[in-house]
Amino acid sequence: MSATVNRLFDNDWVGPALVCLIAIAGISWLQPSFLSSFNIFVLLSAIAVNMVVALGQLVIIALGQMNLALGAFGGLVAISFVAIMELYGVPPMAAVAIGLAIGTAAGAATGFVIARTGISAFIITLAALQIFKGINLGITEAQPFYGVPQVVKDFGNLAVIGPIPWLVVPMVIVSVGMWYLLNRLRIGRYILAVGGNPTAAELSGINVTGTTIWAFAISGGLAAIAGMMLVARLQIGQPTIGDDWLISSFAAPVIGGAVLAGGHVSVAGTFFGVVIIAIITQALVLFAIDPFVVQIVLGALILWAVGINRFREIRVARHNEAR
Amino acid sequence: MTDTTTSPDIDARDELMPARRRSSRLLRLLLSNEFGLAVMIAIAFTAFATTLPGFTSPFSLFTIGRQIGIDTMIGLAMMAVIVTGGLDLSVGAIGVCAAMVFGWLAQSMGVPLALAVPAAILFGGLLGFINGYAVVRSGVHSFIITLASMSIFFGVMIFLSKAQSFNALPPEVTSLGKMRIFGKVSLLLVITLVVCVALSAFYRFTTLGRQMLATGANARAAELSGIRTGRIITACHMLAGALAALAGLMLTARTGAAVPSMAGHLGQDWLLPAFLAPVLGGTLLSGGRVSVAGTLLGAAFVTIMTSGLLLMRVGEFWILACLGLILLLAVLTDRLRQKMLRARGLI
Repeated sequence: MSATVNRLFDNDWVGPALVCLIAIAGISWLQPSFLSSFNIFVLLSAIAVNMVVALGQLVIIALGQMNLALGAFGGLVAISFVAIMELYGVPPMAAVAIGLAIGTAAGAATGFVIARTGISAFIITLAALQIFKGINLGITEAQPFYGVPQVVKDFGNLAVIGPIPWLVVPMVIVSVGMWYLLNRLRIGRYILAVGGNPTAAELSGINVTGTTIWAFAISGGLAAIAGMMLVARLQIGQPTIGDDWLISSFAAPVIGGAVLAGGHVSVAGTFFGVVIIAIITQALVLFAIDPFVVQIVLGALILWAVGINRFREIRVARHNEAR
Repeated sequence: MTDTTTSPDIDARDELMPARRRSSRLLRLLLSNEFGLAVMIAIAFTAFATTLPGFTSPFSLFTIGRQIGIDTMIGLAMMAVIVTGGLDLSVGAIGVCAAMVFGWLAQSMGVPLALAVPAAILFGGLLGFINGYAVVRSGVHSFIITLASMSIFFGVMIFLSKAQSFNALPPEVTSLGKMRIFGKVSLLLVITLVVCVALSAFYRFTTLGRQMLATGANARAAELSGIRTGRIITACHMLAGALAALAGLMLTARTGAAVPSMAGHLGQDWLLPAFLAPVLGGTLLSGGRVSVAGTLLGAAFVTIMTSGLLLMRVGEFWILACLGLILLLAVLTDRLRQKMLRARGLI
């Protein structure tokens, strides 16, 4: 029995999933309106966007790096997406394709610089953050674009069925795709191998430069998708989109058991990490607690998750020693 | 003790090849970050001074000097942690928190400035201690610890202050921010220069400073030679916290008020100046090498470029993109320089 339980807890997602269940049960007991269909709709919309953001960081964490420019990519794509529809009358589907291309290209360019120079991703993505944010604000002069077509607004506003918003659809596709990529596709395995041990990966014939560029291109593409989803949800092309992604994009994968040194991540765990953050944010609103407390809670959550991961690492290490 | 634990001594290697000694020393000076920066500053300054009327007016020089003072202090705070090969994302949050504590003490509690200023700097050191303690005890990289702590520090500060600024500070605060020495030089710049000299001496001559460099260069070797690396890393974070607090106070003196949003959301606006100045100045991100003078020159270069571009009516937002490009070019040049030095066998 205890062996089964132990083995179950070796899965990254079980702990966060349990926390989710307990939190949902507790909050809905205290505040029944938490499970109202409207509230679930709002909650799912937030989860959908944040999950795509988190996956954009997850793929870089898998590589053992970090991407500070994620929000800047998302913001630039979001305003370009609205701008080309409003100013040039580009049809929404074409605009989505262009937005995706901009995000992927920005990511690939950043990845190229990191891979070719070997300078730490931190400093290069910090520079990229300023460059892309500067371009964003230079184009918009910090003013939002309002000309979002009705079909895009509907996508962010309407439900597929019951309380499930349309925004969940891209999230599911992206999540399944990311799981498939990391577990079944060659490039995904390469990313994890480079994250686990770059030297060993290089020696076994993996093209580290190419893998890094791929990972950053994927990250940029995901940031683009999240930015466009946020446009649909907010109904407006805000230049500030992406400004607050930094903390939560790291918090969710870390809560989901990702090892920051790279090589080990969990898509399912990240999902429950996103859900935990969304529930806490919502609960603070429901109980009319100061919204600034969210910042404190997010920071504490990261520390807590890092502590748990550390504890599990030590346990695994002991277990291996005993064998 | 200190002699055995210093980072690899370049002069000792020079003794082995006396023939190349003099020329290589000159070449190394010419290829150093500090020299390159000084040249770039001279070019930028001359170009702006000759083309832009008003760039060299006493008031313009005063504001440029004041900005250099503040940006250098922010850069030094980050440098103090980069020494160990770590980083501190929370410098902005610490700076704002310390400034708010100062505002609360000076305005609401009526504490005299002579007490409130050291108290705020100590408070910054305390927040730095929390960072350092968490990093050392958990063994987790400082990136993630300080990412969490910047969120926590800033959140607690906003929660306690209810996002209200302290704008009825004693009048001395504003007059300190406006004070000029010799008619052009800001007092804030003078404070920064004093701190620069003190820090240079600290890293060069004191045991603690040398131990910080040794820990950053090779933590394991330092540990084996008897340095308690955990304590040293904590001390680095405390120093960073105290310097960030000082930067926050200087910003308060310039604004004349302690404002919760003075470093942007979560203090993120400080991140770019914090990394730009040390990286331009040649501080190694992997740790073990600092350049206080380089950080000062780096901040000076960035400030002169920003002021000049602003006077040329380049949009404020495009300057942000320019600064990002400068950071990128700086690290690329640094790579190239190291490659050249290595090819000539100078390092």
